[in-house]
Amino acid sequence: MNKIITLFKREYRAAVRTKGFIITLVMLPLMMGGGFLAMMIMEKNQDTDDKQFAVIDHSGLMKEYLEKAVEERNQNDIFHSYTGDKIAPAYEIEFVEPDNDHPLDQQLALSNRVKSAELHAFIEIGPGILHPTEESPAYLRYYTEHSFNDALRYWFRDAVNNNLRKLRAQELNLTQEQTDDMLRWIDVEGMGLVSVDKKTGEQQEAEKTNELQSFLVPYVMLILMFLLTMMSAIPLLSAVMEEKNEKIAEVLLGTITPFQFMMGKVLGGIGVALTTASIYILAGIFTLTQLGFDSLIPYQVLPWFFVYLILFIVMVGTGMAALGATCNDNKDVQSLTFPAMLPIIIPMFLIAPVISDPIGPLATSMSLIPPFTPTMMVIRLATSVTIPIWQPIAGLLGVILFTLFSVWVGARIFRTAILIQGQKPTIATLFKYAFKK
Amino acid sequence: MNIIELSGVTKTFGSVKAVDDLSLSVPKGSIYGFIGPNGSGKTTTIRMIMKITYPDAGTLRVNGQENQDQRLRNVGYLPEDRGLYKKMKLGDLLLFHGELNQGTDLKKRISYWLDRLDLADYREKKVETLSKGMRQKLQFIATILHQPELVILDEPFSGLDPVNAEIMKDVILDLQKKGATIIFSTHDMAMAEMMCDYIFMIYKGKKVLDGTLLEIQDQYGNDTLRIQSEMGAAALEGIAGIEHVNNFGKLQEVRLAPGTDPQKVLTELLPKTRISKFEITKPSLNDIFIRIASPERKEANNE
Repeated sequence: MNKIITLFKREYRAAVRTKGFIITLVMLPLMMGGGFLAMMIMEKNQDTDDKQFAVIDHSGLMKEYLEKAVEERNQNDIFHSYTGDKIAPAYEIEFVEPDNDHPLDQQLALSNRVKSAELHAFIEIGPGILHPTEESPAYLRYYTEHSFNDALRYWFRDAVNNNLRKLRAQELNLTQEQTDDMLRWIDVEGMGLVSVDKKTGEQQEAEKTNELQSFLVPYVMLILMFLLTMMSAIPLLSAVMEEKNEKIAEVLLGTITPFQFMMGKVLGGIGVALTTASIYILAGIFTLTQLGFDSLIPYQVLPWFFVYLILFIVMVGTGMAALGATCNDNKDVQSLTFPAMLPIIIPMFLIAPVISDPIGPLATSMSLIPPFTPTMMVIRLATSVTIPIWQPIAGLLGVILFTLFSVWVGARIFRTAILIQGQKPTIATLFKYAFKK
Repeated sequence: MNIIELSGVTKTFGSVKAVDDLSLSVPKGSIYGFIGPNGSGKTTTIRMIMKITYPDAGTLRVNGQENQDQRLRNVGYLPEDRGLYKKMKLGDLLLFHGELNQGTDLKKRISYWLDRLDLADYREKKVETLSKGMRQKLQFIATILHQPELVILDEPFSGLDPVNAEIMKDVILDLQKKGATIIFSTHDMAMAEMMCDYIFMIYKGKKVLDGTLLEIQDQYGNDTLRIQSEMGAAALEGIAGIEHVNNFGKLQEVRLAPGTDPQKVLTELLPKTRISKFEITKPSLNDIFIRIASPERKEANNE
C-alpha cells in the first residue's frame, strides 16, 4: 500500500503542479459553458439594424392593423426602458399588391430584393386567412434567407393572429372587454412540493421552480463529471503508453507490481478529480450564495456525486490504463480514445430526454447500466423529481461490482501488455490478455 | 549460500524459446557477469529474476522466496532500456525511487551519491536537461540508493565514456565490498574478465558457460598464441595448424587447431619475420565468446 501511495503522490504532484493544470482549471468550464456565455453575450449584442419587409396580402384584411402594430412596436419595444438605448431593430413594412397573373414573377422579384439585402424578408398572407375554404386557403408564408430564430417571423405570426382573433370577435359583436377577457392567457407557475421541516416539524410551503433551474442543475452536474473524467481518467491512456514506450514502466515494475503501478496512477487521477471538483463546487456554492441563488445548490446530491465520481474514475481509469498498456504509439492511442470514451459521451446525448422524464423507462434503465450509472444517476438525482431511494443504492452496488470487475480485467490486461512491444491492441488480444491463464 | 537459484527455468514467447531449461546458482556477495549475443536470453533471464515476467516451467528462488506475486525487497534493478520521468527534478526523482524501494535516510544518501557521481549541481534541474550519460548515472543512483543486497544491472556500461565507466566500476566494487551481490550483463568482455567472480554465458536461450574465468578458460586449454612481429598478420599466412587469427593490427591472437604444437608455429615464423612477442596462453573471454557465437560456428552447426 505504501508503494501505491508513493506512486499516487508522484502522479498527483505531476498533474497538479503544472501551469497546464491551472490553465485547464480555468479554461475548461469556460469552454464547456461557452454556449451559455455566447447566448448571454449575444443577448446583450443583438442586431439592432432596422428591418424592412414586404407583405403580399391576398386577404386584404391586414394592412391597417399591421401598419399600426409596427408603429406601436417601433415606439414602445425597441428602446431600453431605463437607458433609452436601442435594443431591437425597428420594422419597416411595405405592402405589395398581389400579382395574381404572374405570382411566381412577383415572388422572384421580391426574392432578389431579399438577396440584395434591400429587404430582410417578404411575407404572403393567404386569401382565406380569416375563414379558410378549399378555394381560398389560409396560410402565412415567410420568405427569407434567415429562417432560424428570426424574431420578425415570430412577431409577425403573433400580430396576424391577434388581428384575426379580433376580427372574429367583431363578427360575433363582442365588446372590446369581452374580447380581451376571452383572449386572456394564463401561464403555468412551476412549484416544488410542500415538505415538513425535519428539525421543527413545521410544514413548509412549496417553493417556486423554473425551467432553467430544472435543466441547469443536472446539466452542470453532468458537465462537471464529464470534465473531471476528461481531466483525470482519460489522460491515463496516453500517459501509460508513453511510460511503456519510454521504458519507465520496466524500471518501476522492478519495484512494484503491475497492479500497484496501475492503481497508483488511477489514485493520482482520483486526487486530481477531487481537487478540481472541490474547487469548482466551493467556487460555485460561494458564487450562488453571493448572488442569492442558494436554492440552486443541490446539497443533497453532492454526497452521491462524489461517491459516483470516485467509482467512475476508478472504472474508467483502470480501463484507460489497461488500454494504454496495449498501445505502442499515438496512432494506437487515437484509435482507442473514442470507443474508450463512450461511457462518458453517451450520457451527453441523453441528457435532454433524461431531464424531461427522470423517472421514465429510458432514464431508469440507463441509470442502472453500470458504465452509465454514475452520470445518469447523478443527472436524475439532480432534477427536482423524487427518485425512489432503492435506485441510487442499486445503481451504486452495480457500479461497485462493475468497478471491481474493471479493476480485475484491467489489471490482467495491464500486467501482460505493459512489457509487450509491437502487438496491436485488437479486441482479440485484449480478450487474450484478460482471460488467458 | 546462494542468493539466486534457478532450476530448469524455461520461458517461451510464441514459438521462440527465449530461455531453455536454465539452471544457475548465484553465490551471495559475488559479482556475476551475464554475457551472450543480442537476443540470446540475458534480459529475459534478468526479468524473470526480477519477477517482471514469469517462467513457464522450472523454479526460481531469490533469497529463498518463490512467491511470484510479491516484489523483491532490497533489490536494485537497472534495466537495459533506461526510463526516467523527464519532467521531474533530479532530487525529486531520486526521492521517489528511494521511497518506492522503502529506503531510509534518503535525503542524505541522495546528496552523497549526486556528489560522488558528479551530479550535485543538477539536483534542482529537470531530467530532460541531462545528457545521455548523465541520465545513466542518475538511473544508476536510483538503483542503488536504498542500499540493496542484490543489484541487477543490465548493460550498466553501455554509452558511458571511459571516465564514467571507471567511476561506475569503482562503485560496483564498493557495493560488493559492503556485502552486496552484483549481477550485470555486458558486451564488454574485458570488463567482465576483470570484474566478475563468475561468468555465465547464454546462447539461444541455453547456458553454454558458467563458472569462474579460470574454470571457463581451462575448458579450452592453452591453445592461444599472442604474437607481435614486424610483418604482422601476413607472417601467419600459410602456416599449418592455425585455426583462426584475430588481428588487432599490432598484435595477432592466434587460435591453434587441436594437437598443434606451438613450437612448430614459432619455427615456421622465425625465418619470415622478426618476432618481438610470442606468448602461449589461454583464450580470452572475448575469443571464447566469438568461438561460441560467431557465424562460422553457426555454419559449422548448420544453424
